[in-house]
Amino acid sequence: MTHKSLLIADARTKKRNAAERRFKAYGLSAIVVAILALVMLLVSVFGTGASAFRQTYATVTVPLPEDKLDKSGVRDIEVMKKVTTIGYTKLLNEGFENVVIASGIPTGLSRKDIGGMLSKEAAATIRDHILANPDLVGTEATLDLLMNGRIDGYFKGRVTLESAALDSNTSPEELALAQALKDAGIIHTKFNWAFLTNPDASDQRPEAAGLGVAILGSLYMMIVVLVTSLPIAVAASIYLEEFAPKNRWTDLIEVNISNLAAVPSIVYGILGLAIFINFMELNQSSPLVGGLVLSLMTLPRIIIPARAALKSVPPSIRDAALGVGASKMQSVFHHVLPLAAPGILTGVIIGLGQALGETAPLLLIGMVAFVREYPAAYTPDAGLFGEASTALPVQVYNWTQRADPGFVERASGAIITLLIFLLVMNAVAIFLRRKFERRW
Amino acid sequence: MKDINMQNPKISAKNVQVYYGDNHAIKDVNVEIADKTVTAFIGPSGCGKSTFLRCLNRMNDTIDICRVTGEIKIDDEDIYDAKVDPVQLRAKVGMVFQKPNPFPKSIYDNVAYGPKIHGLARNKAELDEIVEKALRKAALWNEAKDRLNSPGTGLSGGQQQRLCIARAIATAPEVLLMDEPCSALDPIATAQVEELIDELRQSYSVVIVTHSMQQAARVSQKTAFFHLGNLVEYDDTTKIFTNPDDPRTESYISGRIG
Amino acid sequence: MANHISSAYDRDLEAIQTLVVKMGGMVESAILLASQSLETRDVDLAEKVRADDKKIDALEMQINEEAARVIALRAPVSKDLRSILTVLRIAASLERIGDYAKNMAKRTGTLVDMPAIAGSDAALRRMAREVSLMLKDMLDAYLRGDAVMAEDVRQRDLEVDQMYNALFREFLTFMMEDPRNITACMHLHFMAKNVERMGDLVTNMAEQVIYQVTGEMPEEARPKGDKTAYMSEL
Repeated sequence: MTHKSLLIADARTKKRNAAERRFKAYGLSAIVVAILALVMLLVSVFGTGASAFRQTYATVTVPLPEDKLDKSGVRDIEVMKKVTTIGYTKLLNEGFENVVIASGIPTGLSRKDIGGMLSKEAAATIRDHILANPDLVGTEATLDLLMNGRIDGYFKGRVTLESAALDSNTSPEELALAQALKDAGIIHTKFNWAFLTNPDASDQRPEAAGLGVAILGSLYMMIVVLVTSLPIAVAASIYLEEFAPKNRWTDLIEVNISNLAAVPSIVYGILGLAIFINFMELNQSSPLVGGLVLSLMTLPRIIIPARAALKSVPPSIRDAALGVGASKMQSVFHHVLPLAAPGILTGVIIGLGQALGETAPLLLIGMVAFVREYPAAYTPDAGLFGEASTALPVQVYNWTQRADPGFVERASGAIITLLIFLLVMNAVAIFLRRKFERRW
Repeated sequence: MKDINMQNPKISAKNVQVYYGDNHAIKDVNVEIADKTVTAFIGPSGCGKSTFLRCLNRMNDTIDICRVTGEIKIDDEDIYDAKVDPVQLRAKVGMVFQKPNPFPKSIYDNVAYGPKIHGLARNKAELDEIVEKALRKAALWNEAKDRLNSPGTGLSGGQQQRLCIARAIATAPEVLLMDEPCSALDPIATAQVEELIDELRQSYSVVIVTHSMQQAARVSQKTAFFHLGNLVEYDDTTKIFTNPDDPRTESYISGRIG
Repeated sequence: MANHISSAYDRDLEAIQTLVVKMGGMVESAILLASQSLETRDVDLAEKVRADDKKIDALEMQINEEAARVIALRAPVSKDLRSILTVLRIAASLERIGDYAKNMAKRTGTLVDMPAIAGSDAALRRMAREVSLMLKDMLDAYLRGDAVMAEDVRQRDLEVDQMYNALFREFLTFMMEDPRNITACMHLHFMAKNVERMGDLVTNMAEQVIYQVTGEMPEEARPKGDKTAYMSEL
């Protein structure tokens, strides 16, 4: 019998190698497709949203005559509050016009038009500033004030001279003036911290719209989710894994938990509506209700990785603990739990991350509210986390519904913010896992 | 089977039966284990020697389908009595397992865990003393004294097993159960552990389950041969290996089938 | 007894046993040929017996090596251990018997030139035959693991001892009758002593067989019939 040389590949080997090469090619192309999709997403989101983080302001010196602003003469806040934003608007217009005249830029616009270039929010800004610093009355104040959405849009490329001619909110002359003022240094764009801190704004003021309320609402909800679902989920998974007898009932429970993790989140919204709002009569739109609904949703998503983490602790550790004379409880809490902790922690953070991005159940319980004020953590009327609020993903949904093109940029900016938060949470999960992982 | 009548046996088992569900794993075993002696349990795989060993510290309680009947007395007290707390029992009867399984903690914490949970030390100084004594007795002190806070899992296989032995003896047990303690170790580590067992028998009653007949011959004074759940022969080690009574014992130790 | 799980172990033990049986056969024939050569005064036969003893020695060495190998590689216990110890002892005893046979053959060469002593040849031949029968039976008992037969062989040494006593007396008589017989009688006596020693060695081997089969050496003392040490006068 002649022996086959190892140096010559036979037909079967060649076929097998070809099949394996094909398989690798499929895998690679799948990854490439996925990466392309991701890149397209990121490019489109960052393309529209990155500009949300820069905002156009004008440096304006506003005269603050006492006779107009403080009728009492003694800086009585209650009296000063009677002066509404309309009164301040007149002062603003005056101040801005003065700035324009002082700069020497020629323009044919009236004071009203010039004042109209400022955002409607500007009056509120200066009013709040004065009420906070009543001593400024009688002098002047130089502030950075928000420009309106169209001017801002012009500098960001959304608005052109052609579109301005057709636009009722602005005109090519205003744009020209704005350009000149920018060249003169009176108008400038700077990083938009207000995007993150301002509450939401009305349809006419996209430039003033911010994520402040949404971020705070999401934060409160995450706190509720953490405080409710973490202890319950961990306790449930410990019980199911370590203490429960292995019979048909526990099998049933296991199957049901897996199923619950797969239930569409909107069903939890309906559940929350029925139980928390209708039956328990908690406040609608509150972070408390939102948090409770999200907890229900997150519970199975924490229990499943927690159980996997507990299962992965080798039985030799438990045997060793029992052999030394530890009780079942001691062996679980002193040995099994610390070893399973990284896995449980990762499960918790990933569960929280998923909860952070959930929209559907929140829509159902009414967190679509347009909220102008920051929700307080506790008020006597609303209770703990009981004030109406909104959440980040809901805010995105909200802004995409609005007419003004300025909100497109805001919505994308909000998506970017959401993505950054999720990225940070996942990074924390990975870091904690690496740090606490122990070899056994 | 020859009747061994012992004066004051440390452990005495009468009519012990163990069932795993319907499987009758241990059939009517009667045996007396002497104090300050090494007793070896030998037999083919699945003969029940490990199962019987685990009855002696009630580790079989952790298995739901396992049922133990009969009487097992340590120091004349039935350990399956309803008043006996298995946790307390396991402080008195220590166990060392086949695969070294130190806790993923420091060497010090490994040894100190048992005494801590049983409240054997009133303060840190006493605990330090207990840890040092246990490590010395396990012939690990010299290698470990400069690295008490390093993780127990960083030791070599033989050292880890000696750490597990130190951990078991830290709770001042009276009986030491060892389930194939050397099967995962290389020959040198095995020899070191066997040497250690020889020293330990001066203080404890040691019961060792082993697959290696040579090990049983080297290390024990008394040997029990288990086969298919029965205790076939129990006698002095020399007798079992030079001239056993039962033909089944003869077949097993000579490496014959049947 | 069932076979070892390791068939190579069984083959090793069988191989050693075969060597022992072969050695035993060679020694048996050496005894018979040595006594035959004396009777027929056949110098060539005596020479052959002397030469063949080398093969017996070589076999003993081979058996020793094989036994050492089995001990090192198999760590035998209980019955297997007793078998190996028995094989070593039997081989040693067989080699001694072979040497005695060779010694007898050597003396035959010297006796050829001397006149025969009446009756001593036949008596010696009877003794040698008895011993070789004992050897044959002992080997059978060894092969069959028959302790009863081995005990029987052990008892038959008494007869050999008694035959030796009788021969001793006869030689003394012959020597006292005629001093010219002294040389021949001395040689013949040594040959008789050799045969008597062979009988003792066969008894040793029989006791080993009992040890292998039962696990204990026989308790009762073997029959000792050799009273020549106490003979002071006829």
